[in-house]
Amino acid sequence: MLIKTAQESGLARCPKCHKLNGMNQNSGNNAQVQCMRCQGLFYPRKPHSLQYTLAWNIAALIAFIPANLYPIMILYSMGIGDPNTILSGIGEFIDHGLYPIAVIIFAASIIVPLIKIIGLFLLVYRVHTGVRLRPDKHSKFYHVLEFLGPWSMLDVFVVALLVAVVELGFVTSVSAGPAINYFTLTVIFTMIAANSFDPRLLWDKKQGIENIKEKN
Amino acid sequence: MNKTKKAKQLIACQQCDALYDTPMLKQGQSAKCTRCGSMLTERKVDSIERSFFWSLAGIILSVPAILLPIMGVTLVGQYHHASLLDCILALIDRGFIMIATLVFLFTLAIPVVRLLGAFYITYSFKFNRLKPSLLYFFRAHHYLDNWAMLNVFMLGIVVSMYKLLDDTELSVNMGLLAFILWLICSTMASSALDQDYIWQELENEFVD
Repeated sequence: MLIKTAQESGLARCPKCHKLNGMNQNSGNNAQVQCMRCQGLFYPRKPHSLQYTLAWNIAALIAFIPANLYPIMILYSMGIGDPNTILSGIGEFIDHGLYPIAVIIFAASIIVPLIKIIGLFLLVYRVHTGVRLRPDKHSKFYHVLEFLGPWSMLDVFVVALLVAVVELGFVTSVSAGPAINYFTLTVIFTMIAANSFDPRLLWDKKQGIENIKEKN
Repeated sequence: MNKTKKAKQLIACQQCDALYDTPMLKQGQSAKCTRCGSMLTERKVDSIERSFFWSLAGIILSVPAILLPIMGVTLVGQYHHASLLDCILALIDRGFIMIATLVFLFTLAIPVVRLLGAFYITYSFKFNRLKPSLLYFFRAHHYLDNWAMLNVFMLGIVVSMYKLLDDTELSVNMGLLAFILWLICSTMASSALDQDYIWQELENEFVD
């Protein structure tokens, strides 16, 4: 391969200021390096990246269960409460014929978190085993996952807005349900999980496999 | 110090760690990694000027965007409206402290702090008041990169307007206009900020 990585050259890239620093030759990836430009401490690769990603991911998956079972929003009209879960809220949009909104909410609050959780599990698995690893495809996929993260907060913001705006005393008012806490946790956990994954591991693993093949 | 000199002329890809010679770019040009296709480095046009004025506008607009009511509803003769700040206060009122804190952070605190940070950095560059502390300041600035969610909140406003249009009389207030302009300003301010250029300048000034 023509391309040489920074790691092979004994260099490490500062994640904050992008400066290349010489790393400690003997201890490799696990040694902390101090950036000579911004003085920040960092590791050449995110330490225990796969473990952290997996752990946050499992936490997100667990929080996703109550997020869907409890009501996320309770609509009071004339003093009578009408609790809605995420899915029944989407059902209501469909009943009212608001299809574009139903699609947006469904994508943001069900599809995106699930894709993020499953996708990260898949990436961790592929990096760990090296089975059918396609670093170019997988790093693009990781980029998409990272970009999608914050958009799941959509439902939370909608509920926050409705709680504040629809406040007409006895006539009608909106309250948030317990699911909103769990749902927010799911979103935060998946964002941290995506943050702890290091896409450079994809390339490292591929390189490692190719090196072994060449030796044989 | 052979290694230091060597490291200065090289650049590594953020995504796949491939090593390249630092490309000499003109304003408006960018370099991509040949292995994974992600952006290596970019030289932005008039970075300091643009970012300075966008962030200044953003700081001014943040006040009406936060305080003015975004929208209101009328139902059986009763009217109620709410601003961004009211959303957070209403959530605190109902006992959703965690959600209120997060909404406060993602849609109010972090965008404002990011704008102020971008403003301070570009101000120092524009009027040549560079200090060594800017190195630490700009590093801290990067911690907030992923956590501003104004654009998501904007979509949230659109969705809830759709929802409210269905069964109430909806009115839109000045706050919405201010919020949209604020969103544009903060997006432009952060996308105009040329991080590699700023780091390079700070390094030439203070390191070694």
